[in-house]
Amino acid sequence: MGCSPPLATLDTDPATWVAAQVGGALEAVFAAVAAIRAETEDLLRRAAGEERRPASADLAALRPGLHRQLTGEDLVSGAGFVAAPGLLGDVPAWLEWWQSGADGVVRPLQLDLDSGQSAYADYTHWDWFALPRATGRRAVAGPYVDYLCSDEYSLTLSEPVLVQGRFAGVAAADVYLRHFEAAVLPLLRSLPRPAHLVNARGRVAASADPAHLAGSLTRGPRFGDLLGTARPGTHDGLGLVPCAGVPLVLVLA
Amino acid sequence: MKQDEKEGAARKAVFSPVDNRARVEAVVRRIGDAIELGLIADGEQLPGESELAGQLGVSTVTLREALMALRQQGLVTTRRGRGGGSFVSVPEVPADDRLKARLRGWSTDELRDLGDHWAALSGAAARLAAQRTEPDDLRQLHRTAEELAHTGDAAARSRLYGRFHVELAAAAQSTRLTREQVALQSEIGALLCLVLADDAFREEVADRHRALVSAVQDGAHETAGTLAERCVREPVARLVAVRLGL
Repeated sequence: MGCSPPLATLDTDPATWVAAQVGGALEAVFAAVAAIRAETEDLLRRAAGEERRPASADLAALRPGLHRQLTGEDLVSGAGFVAAPGLLGDVPAWLEWWQSGADGVVRPLQLDLDSGQSAYADYTHWDWFALPRATGRRAVAGPYVDYLCSDEYSLTLSEPVLVQGRFAGVAAADVYLRHFEAAVLPLLRSLPRPAHLVNARGRVAASADPAHLAGSLTRGPRFGDLLGTARPGTHDGLGLVPCAGVPLVLVLA
Repeated sequence: MKQDEKEGAARKAVFSPVDNRARVEAVVRRIGDAIELGLIADGEQLPGESELAGQLGVSTVTLREALMALRQQGLVTTRRGRGGGSFVSVPEVPADDRLKARLRGWSTDELRDLGDHWAALSGAAARLAAQRTEPDDLRQLHRTAEELAHTGDAAARSRLYGRFHVELAAAAQSTRLTREQVALQSEIGALLCLVLADDAFREEVADRHRALVSAVQDGAHETAGTLAERCVREPVARLVAVRLGL
């Protein structure tokens, strides 16, 4: 999905620009995800080169990089690599996941991954894991209530990690919705019409329109199809502009 | 502990604030639930008495009484001497007797209030979820309802029961309702084992949870809210009945 060509009419220009800015904000997060993916793939390839199965301790090498992403990229509040079950030799499942707290301190997430003890041990059903695994491509999950890792209303951006062509897990980064809203609200408010952003399923991710609050659904338009074409459209008086490269649509009332 | 220390501790207990009993129960409940839910692992050593008392915000006397009660329930063993301390010991199968001893720590009034809180959370979550979900958002709830229908072990059933209500709150897109639900499940989760062991009731429960997911999916928010409240009230009513029989 490329950038939409700039449109000539004055009415659509600012909207196209805002959509491109929103796409750019998430591209910066995807750049962090891509860095984590590349580092993880290197590490897993090295283990494969030594003809051994990687272990959870190997993933400790990712920590300086994760720390950099968490402190360097404003929107990123959680980052890491989530292993496909069975990848590692010493544990059945593993999240090498780090979070930056309100105090700015970066801490590891420790989950109970014993399915005999925890009803939340299986993380493979979450969109941030299942989508990249199913499609082989990067994905934006949410907005959703993340009760597994952060207890925050979040977007999670993720990318599949492949080793010798096989799915090994996902590299991912969390963006808390309150931070995303702070980043995009000035853009949305700059538009002459009430504006909000929805994901492919129509769930509102950020809004400057009191009639469409974050978390609610905007029903009617087929946002998934529109994202497929990557071209602006209209529906029942609504202006619809896909955000360049990311699965969000700018909706103008 | 030497005899005079023991007497000293006993004297301290006598002159501690009168709500001390409730604090002991609160500590027993908190640690007992954590062990029951697997948050503290079998064989794990608990922190030292003064550290643990500090963390829980209770006096060491209160903590000692609570540890005593936990030892009586068989959830904690204390080894003396080098390498000694208090260790978690989880019996192989969660024994009914042990859970009943824990239930005895709840008054029927507290259980009723817990049920009211839970019904308020899940009822509100179901109404909101019905307005805010589309089919793809309900996969996790469908999966949990099915697992609930096919899981034999009462402890696993109670974990799934809790997970269903947490997922429902998440489907409402509410972080606050979800956090409250997680906290509430950590209180009631273990006790639910007592009523979910009954296979006939489990069938009923699974059917009602399936009906609830369908109502959410159909956007029938009032029906969904009412069904969610029933999903909560019935197990709590059964718990109260068990409590009254103790």
